[in-house]
Amino acid sequence: MSNTRDLNETPLHKNNNIVNEICTKGICMEMCPSEEVILRVKEKMVHVLELTRSGHKLVKCYCRSAANSNMAVPQLLRPFRVLSDTVHYLLLEISNRSNIKMSVMYDFLDDRLRAVRQDMTIQRLPPEECVVLLEPMIRFYIYYGYRLCDHPISEFDPVLNKKYLLECMKWFLNCCDVLQNTDKVEDDVDTILTHFNSLDISKTRPELSCDRILVESLYILCNLDSIHPLYRYLCLPNYLKRVSALKLAYNIAIANIKCNFIKIFKLSRKLCPLTFSALCLHHPMIQRRALQAMSFAYNSQYLTVPVEVLKQWLAFNSYEEARSTCMHYGLKVVKEKHGVCFNKHTFKVDVEQHQLTKYYQAKVLQLKLEDVLSYTV
Amino acid sequence: MSTGSLNNYIQTVERMYRLFEGEELSRLLSLRDSHVANKNLRSSDIASLVEGNCVAPLDEVIICHLLCVKALHEKGYLEAYSHQSQCVVAIVKILQNQKEQNWCLPLMYTVCLELRLVAQKAEALTAQSDGKILEKAAESLLSCFRVCAADNRTSDEDTKRLGMLYLVNQLLKVYFRINKLHLCKPLIRAIDSSPLWHQFPLAQQITYRYFVGRKAMFDSEYSAADDFLSFAFLKCHRRSHKNKRLILTYLIPVKMLLGYMPTEDLLEKYDLLQFLDLISVVKNGDLRGIDRIMEEHESFFISAGIYLIVEKLKIIAYRNLFRKVYLVENNHQIDIASFQAALQMMGQEDVDSDETQCIVANLIFQGKIKGYISYQHKKVVVSKQNAFPPLSSL
Repeated sequence: MSNTRDLNETPLHKNNNIVNEICTKGICMEMCPSEEVILRVKEKMVHVLELTRSGHKLVKCYCRSAANSNMAVPQLLRPFRVLSDTVHYLLLEISNRSNIKMSVMYDFLDDRLRAVRQDMTIQRLPPEECVVLLEPMIRFYIYYGYRLCDHPISEFDPVLNKKYLLECMKWFLNCCDVLQNTDKVEDDVDTILTHFNSLDISKTRPELSCDRILVESLYILCNLDSIHPLYRYLCLPNYLKRVSALKLAYNIAIANIKCNFIKIFKLSRKLCPLTFSALCLHHPMIQRRALQAMSFAYNSQYLTVPVEVLKQWLAFNSYEEARSTCMHYGLKVVKEKHGVCFNKHTFKVDVEQHQLTKYYQAKVLQLKLEDVLSYTV
Repeated sequence: MSTGSLNNYIQTVERMYRLFEGEELSRLLSLRDSHVANKNLRSSDIASLVEGNCVAPLDEVIICHLLCVKALHEKGYLEAYSHQSQCVVAIVKILQNQKEQNWCLPLMYTVCLELRLVAQKAEALTAQSDGKILEKAAESLLSCFRVCAADNRTSDEDTKRLGMLYLVNQLLKVYFRINKLHLCKPLIRAIDSSPLWHQFPLAQQITYRYFVGRKAMFDSEYSAADDFLSFAFLKCHRRSHKNKRLILTYLIPVKMLLGYMPTEDLLEKYDLLQFLDLISVVKNGDLRGIDRIMEEHESFFISAGIYLIVEKLKIIAYRNLFRKVYLVENNHQIDIASFQAALQMMGQEDVDSDETQCIVANLIFQGKIKGYISYQHKKVVVSKQNAFPPLSSL
């Protein structure tokens, strides 16, 4: 049954073949293959971030796989060790350069990280190596996803950012599942033993990497509009489900399903910087739905709700922001009373959702990328 | 009909093929028929023995089938799977060659159904496969589906399009199993726009409605889910106890969300007493009780995929709890504080006045309470008539 063995060794994320062919192993020991260095220097295609005092230090670019081109050339592929160094170099050294526009920095890092993922895919790196490389990338996409969220579309495309983020998260979680299953298969006796031991909760909690908890939480919070992450959560083993940081993310998502905006924002105060910023991207959606519900519930010609209360309930930065958002949806703000006059008939259902404004309480806004790369939840 | 020697078997299959006996043919090529126990059919060199011994496209089917049988006997499920999927390829060829006739559909049904079953078996025994085998199986099923769906010039009696629903049902089963519900959409569209709906066998209609109903439930379209699942339940054969129970697992929570509570007799009859306690706590607005029951039956609710629906039943419980407060107060102006106290009594100790207002606000928005909130007075003013309209009327 050689087929079964092949299957077991297949990294599963992007592979559609059940029977897998042998994969290429990279032998390029530099961050950029020498062929590419020569070409790019000659064609003057060296990025400003690749210039150093002593000359240049290039990192392999992302390049679309085109028909006819063979990407699986060992000389062009970097093995795991080099990829790991590359990710470190990009996210810890390059990202510290000053005097560079943030969107330029993002574009550069994003492109080079995609090239890293491409090398990973072509070489079909095993899951235990993939998770190490993917985890910092996920933090990277979350961090910039919020830092750049109000930049013009010409500088930053939130849809693409989300796409790459999801790609990394799904890949990462898939690897976790595979690793979890392998553990089970390998130590059958151990699993049985754990079952016995599980009566004593304090002893048996398996070592878990905090990082997985972070990604599991982000996966829920980045996809509040979908219930699939919640079903995923529910099917996780208990020792993961019970970790408070992850349970918090789940509870926020449940509060969201029930449109309980007070609870969402109350719970959100306990989130870590990255998970908090992931939630912040949903603010307009939550605020809009809340205002719509309130325009039915507080519907009155005379009674009002103070703008200050609304600001606090719905996590607006300022009185002015709360006021203008209400106006956007056709709600009247009575000046003398500093109150919003809710009316279910004037609430505009068909206007576009209001623009996202950065929430000043998001810690990510004060932190540098390197600050969010290493903390654990 | 004996299938003694290999030659006998081949001749019988060929005769049925020439006689257009679809049903009989499908039995002879089924993995669940008695002939699979026949040792004569498990020769070591099946391919060379069959080839040329039988009409052209059919020999391929027989070879793949017997190789699959052999692999299954040796418990090589992955190998069995690949033979069975080759068998489907051969069937696709046969179907394509048979213009304006559909007597072969029963054979396609059997082979496709068994492809899925073998895939499931292989999947279960292959660690880390992660749905890849079933995904491959779905691709094979889709190749059959394409042939059937494209047959649109043939008359309604002879068209292969009549085979579409059977395949869609198989595909839905696969997609639900590997949790790829988004792939269901084009299939559902194909069936819903097909003029042949009433010509599909009732059994297939029921299966289809069952899955489409479940999908609607996941998409939070509860009244559509109610329609589909009710159809499935009412039309399902009374002896199909297991299937009826399966349908009810989803229909009951959907109905409850819409305000209809099942009777105890029904729950008892179908061994679904997990819902019985749930009904009384939801009715009483006993939020602590809901939490207790969710914990108690956690694995049942999660494995059935209805845990989040049960979570949503808390909204109904809020409504029932607030209605009780309203009846006790006997006044159409109720302090937010009274509602808050009721919530706290039910175990929601951390709920403050703001959150209470938020919960009430959502109930008003959904039409479950008629009235409005006054922020200044911290009061809910409910309608003098029908302040808590029956859920089933919404």
